[in-house]
Amino acid sequence: MKLSKKVKCDHCHLEFSEDVMIEDDGHYFCCNGCQGVYHLLSEQGLDGFYKKLGDEHLAPPSNQFEDASNFDTPAFYEQYVKQTKDGFSEVSLIIEGIHCAACVWLNEKALTNMDGVIATNINYTNNKAKIVWDDENVKLSQIIEMIRAIGYNAYPYDASLQEEKANKERKEYYLRMAVAIFATMNMMTIMVAQYAGYFSGISADIKHILNIGEWVLATPVLFYSGWPFFKGMYYGIKTKTVNMDTLVATGSMLTYLYSIYITLTRSGEAYFDSVTMIVTFVLVGKFLEVLSKKSVADTLDVMNKYLPHDVKVLDGEKVFTKNVNDVAVGEVVLVNAGDKVALDGEVIDGSGTFDESSLTGESEPIFKTVGDTIISGTVSIDADVKYKVSKDYAHSTMSNIVSLLENAMNNKPRLQQLANRLSEYFSSVILLLAAFTFIGWYFYSSDFEQSFMIAISVIVIACPCALALATPVATLVGLSIASKKGILFKEAAQLETMSQADVLVLDKTGTITQGKPHVVKEKIYKDFDISLLYSLLLNSKHPIAKAVADYVYDENLHCLELESYNNVASAGITAMYHGKMLAGGNAKMMKIIGIDVDDKSEDSEFYFAYDGEVLVKYELFDMPREDAKEAIQEIEKLGIEVIMLTGDHQRSAQKVASLVSIKEFISEMTPQDKANYIEKLHKDGKIVVMAGDGVNDILALAESDIAIAMGNGSDIAIEVSDIVLLNDTFGSLYDSFTISRKTFSMIKQNLGLSLVYNGITIPLAMAGYIIPLIAAISMSISSLLVVGNSLRIKIGYKD
Amino acid sequence: MSSWVIGMMLGVSVFLGSIALVALMWAIKKGQFDDKEKFLNAALYDDEEELNDAVKMEAKRKEALRKKEYRPE
Repeated sequence: MKLSKKVKCDHCHLEFSEDVMIEDDGHYFCCNGCQGVYHLLSEQGLDGFYKKLGDEHLAPPSNQFEDASNFDTPAFYEQYVKQTKDGFSEVSLIIEGIHCAACVWLNEKALTNMDGVIATNINYTNNKAKIVWDDENVKLSQIIEMIRAIGYNAYPYDASLQEEKANKERKEYYLRMAVAIFATMNMMTIMVAQYAGYFSGISADIKHILNIGEWVLATPVLFYSGWPFFKGMYYGIKTKTVNMDTLVATGSMLTYLYSIYITLTRSGEAYFDSVTMIVTFVLVGKFLEVLSKKSVADTLDVMNKYLPHDVKVLDGEKVFTKNVNDVAVGEVVLVNAGDKVALDGEVIDGSGTFDESSLTGESEPIFKTVGDTIISGTVSIDADVKYKVSKDYAHSTMSNIVSLLENAMNNKPRLQQLANRLSEYFSSVILLLAAFTFIGWYFYSSDFEQSFMIAISVIVIACPCALALATPVATLVGLSIASKKGILFKEAAQLETMSQADVLVLDKTGTITQGKPHVVKEKIYKDFDISLLYSLLLNSKHPIAKAVADYVYDENLHCLELESYNNVASAGITAMYHGKMLAGGNAKMMKIIGIDVDDKSEDSEFYFAYDGEVLVKYELFDMPREDAKEAIQEIEKLGIEVIMLTGDHQRSAQKVASLVSIKEFISEMTPQDKANYIEKLHKDGKIVVMAGDGVNDILALAESDIAIAMGNGSDIAIEVSDIVLLNDTFGSLYDSFTISRKTFSMIKQNLGLSLVYNGITIPLAMAGYIIPLIAAISMSISSLLVVGNSLRIKIGYKD
Repeated sequence: MSSWVIGMMLGVSVFLGSIALVALMWAIKKGQFDDKEKFLNAALYDDEEELNDAVKMEAKRKEALRKKEYRPE
């Protein structure tokens, strides 16, 4: 083939050779889609987009969309569309195909120009859009059609769930922290004068004025920034528990009231600075926790995207699309190559192979023909079949899995964090001690004012700034080390849970193994032209053919023109070259063309025959990841039990288990079996870490205490997991264990440090030796100690 | 230095500071810091045209609201 000049498509900027391009008035387009979008943008006066786009590439627009009129149904409106206060409609969409800022500009601009659209806001970072429109002027379907017309796609998501709530909570914390930090900083400058005056003398008037200034600054901090603590205390009282909030709220409130009394009577020292510092420090600790929480809502969004919403239903001779929920049992549905199956059923016409790995974990495609059952959630590789629906959507396998998953996600076990457990006892002990101190001093000196002041100083000095910072700071350091090593923890609290794990459950296909067969053995019977084999293989989508093609590929190969391809289901492929027959496939294929091969191997085999003679044989096997064996041994050395679960058959499970030296394994498990197995481990009191990669693992992942997904795993597995290993190695699986253990030991040290500090200062306070300066200094020093100590986690993880 | 000077200076500086604080809080509430990327890219796409669009949008909103209110039912 002669090479022609490469030209850029004027819309998507991808380069193709000149003779395949559509030429249009001096412009070149790679497809009709690009051409359509280009003209549309010119008509609308939006061609400024291309200037803004610069050299960025776009994905050519797709033409295959579900019918947009589905978006106007009342059921859809009820689920996704909200009414604003003014009576407009609002929807949250995820826009697909956004690559750069110019794309966002184009979408916003195009929607802004539409009649009836009142407001658009597209987030640059996560491509989520919020659109407000007047339903009398324009319909949602028109808006979505507009987005599609300019080359993007949009699908709705339910924003009213946790994600929105989490964002709101985060924003509230920003506001509260802004106030707290502003006031604390100003307070510190005033305190410089106060402490200088404390030592070198200060006139009572000036001290009074400074106290009033402090009062003004402390008030918003306590009542605005400190509001979450009062709320926490209220819920604590309702459930009759003493928590950290109780201590912070009572401590700061009492201190505040006492300081007002001091200020008004002009006697002694006010503690306003302690009020702001306590609230600010503990608030920062709380904020760090809020920041690292993940929301379940996003997971379910991805699930919905994963499932097909429409199917092609056959009614007599006519084919029309129908929403999956409306398809009744007994209707006939059409599935083409590459489609995802939405409903369970039975094949009535046609045949082909299906990828069932998402449900069974089995890597081999499965051949289905008339009479075989077909399961939702599987993907047709090359099959064009008609099947009769045997279960409606709500009862089909895949939606069953989704509802089980929702259940499991909501009931995920959570270990209470050590700091929280500790603070319950700590808070009650301190409040009791303060009460005793007051009673003791009152009997001893019968001076109410002095006894009250000393009791308050006990609460102030014990206020758990260091305690509140101990966990968040240590986990943040742990998270940052982990992320440098390609381990993403989605929630900080998981570090603590992970460190206490005693069982590691591994999935086989795709987790321990690489998930794809690789050629492990080559036996050449006779020299031949590899290009022949390669050209034949290029025509098959079967994973084994692909693996062999990868294996034999080198740059000197050229494509030969083969004729009359034939896919022989579950056997192989044949083709003709200059009148002679080429055949590639398994032993069955060889038998079909009349060659007997008798080598028996445990692994998958691929034979290649030319002109009635076998030329070469490949043996393929899904190999374990390179560092799996060593890492698994290291993890076992940490005292963690390693178990392998797989949907594959006994023989291949046995082989992989022995290759990576895992003693315990269970084979032929369904997704539900895996989840049940983990539940059983829970019942035995085990803390379970599960690593998996596929849809067949999601139930088990959701059930486990800590779910780990491989970075190249399926979207859903990644969403469901708590930890993602970006570089897909077992080394980082081991690292995630050691990092979490180290972090947890640091948390314990931090808690110990702050308890020791309290053990020294509380008796001093009870004896009445604490002055405000010492309270303030010791509070800062203990917090600094905790932060400094946490940084030590980094030792040993130099990069 | 008499104490009212200290009092006044303290008052004035806290007042000025709180103006900045209120401005920051207003910006946070309006969502100006919600989207890091948009914040950084705003300079590239902030033009006369964008300003016009914003005004048009506002007008459209008012128009739609007016229609809603005067709708005979």
